[in-house]
Amino acid sequence: MWYHKPVVSKELLQSLPNLRIVASSGVGIDHLDLNLLSSFGVKVSNTPFIVSTDTADLGMALMLASSRRLVEGYEMAVSPDTEYFPADWLGAEVSGATLGIVGMGTIGYKVAERAKAFEMKILYHNRSQRKKEESAVGAVYCKKIDDLLQQSDFVLLAVNLTPETHKLIGKRELELMKPTATLINISRGLVVDQDALVEALQNKVIKAAALDVTYPEPLPRDHPLLKLKNVIITPHIGSATKKTRRIMMEEMTESIQAGLAGLPIPHEVL
Amino acid sequence: LSKKVQAIYLWWHKPVIDRELLQSLPNLKVIANSGVGMNHLDLKLVASFGVKMANAPRAVSSSTADAGMALLLASARRLVEVHHIAISSSMDYCEADILGVKVSGATLGIIGMGRIGYKIALRAKAFEMKILYHNRTQRKAQEEKAVGATYCEKIDSLLQQADFVMVVVSLTPQTCNLIGKRELELMKPTATLINISRGAVVDQEALVMALQTGVIGAAALDVTYPEPLPRDHPLLKLKNVIITPHLGIKTDKACYMITEEAVENILAALNGLPMPSEVLPS
Repeated sequence: MWYHKPVVSKELLQSLPNLRIVASSGVGIDHLDLNLLSSFGVKVSNTPFIVSTDTADLGMALMLASSRRLVEGYEMAVSPDTEYFPADWLGAEVSGATLGIVGMGTIGYKVAERAKAFEMKILYHNRSQRKKEESAVGAVYCKKIDDLLQQSDFVLLAVNLTPETHKLIGKRELELMKPTATLINISRGLVVDQDALVEALQNKVIKAAALDVTYPEPLPRDHPLLKLKNVIITPHIGSATKKTRRIMMEEMTESIQAGLAGLPIPHEVL
Repeated sequence: LSKKVQAIYLWWHKPVIDRELLQSLPNLKVIANSGVGMNHLDLKLVASFGVKMANAPRAVSSSTADAGMALLLASARRLVEVHHIAISSSMDYCEADILGVKVSGATLGIIGMGRIGYKIALRAKAFEMKILYHNRTQRKAQEEKAVGATYCEKIDSLLQQADFVMVVVSLTPQTCNLIGKRELELMKPTATLINISRGAVVDQEALVMALQTGVIGAAALDVTYPEPLPRDHPLLKLKNVIITPHLGIKTDKACYMITEEAVENILAALNGLPMPSEVLPS
């Protein structure tokens, strides 16, 4: 299963009496009804850890591109109308700034490791505190998400999508953020209240956003997010490198083969 | 008025410091440059008028290193290209066509391991990159160890092994056209050239040829010669090239720090004290 297709519904499962396993690409399984699949005796696997590094790399790429106005800068550099580069055109510094990581799992932690090398001050919010990892990257735990939102120059979302994280970032959270802050989303579109985000960006409640994920994907072509100057959108490329995709396919094949042979399934999702 | 001028704070190469200007300012004592590159100044000419010069090396290093990493990541993950796909009015694209290159674990070759080059190494290490470097002199063992960098006495060795080649030298007669046809041909056909130094360090025509014929994979350039490029220049049209408008130091923080460094140098020169970052004609 790639990119959530086909949609695994009751009708599909009823029409495939010999279906033994659904191997899903990537780590997220929010698009699958696990209870439904289980009731049909169908096993599920994903590809959890292999995507982490590329996704963390992309989070950093989005943060740097947004703060240094890379896309705007490129357009200026190649535009037929450009005669000179204005002296007062500035971006914001990443080195030494404060990064707030919401969701300190495997991906969130890899982002922290990278951010540390940029001398960033790192805050994190997580369901539980991670003391050992904290000291390795110099991260400070924020039990209340509000504390993280109020202090961060960059807020990076690295949670998985669950009923608890649905619309985790809404109007209230955006208003707690600094007006100079940037929201970076590498988790799932539904973690953010998208309408509230559009309003916040239009009214300068926050400065900018960089989104690898939206809801839906892709957005309708007339969606306001596509037109805002202070937004970078990428088409869900978190794990989109040749090396990683190859390994994902290998892992999915292994899981399918094990599933069909009745053997223990690598990366089974229970 | 010209008799009153004792210091010049040079912002973005203006004013042009030539013989006429120097002759018209008899009391000029110091020129402080905004930034670290001094290639636009005739150091010997300025010194012959008894005028001291300073640059701002400390202020620029973090923001320029950040810009280098930003370009590396944007190029590897095809950020500019896929952003345009994501917002374009057509939804026609194939998922398999937008795959990028994995940065973590790749090999980065840094040409010029000064302050900025070293900060790049620190950042690249956190991405688990293998780091090679070429420099006029080898760095101390503990500095190398801290970033896991391997010295390449010959630039060829670096060029042959690197997936990303980052150019971070200052522009001097020795580094002009440092990267030419020969060097580009030594690079891997899948490699990316990133230039955050000066346009003239790279033979631009050779670069265009190399990119057009697949001799190297891609380029990301914060600097060109001239800036901006003429609007019909081939580099502006190549799909595998990212160009940015010399934004290496263009952050609010860096500009503030550059001005602070310049003021420190100016005050020191006017008070006859040692200057923190004096530049001597060598």
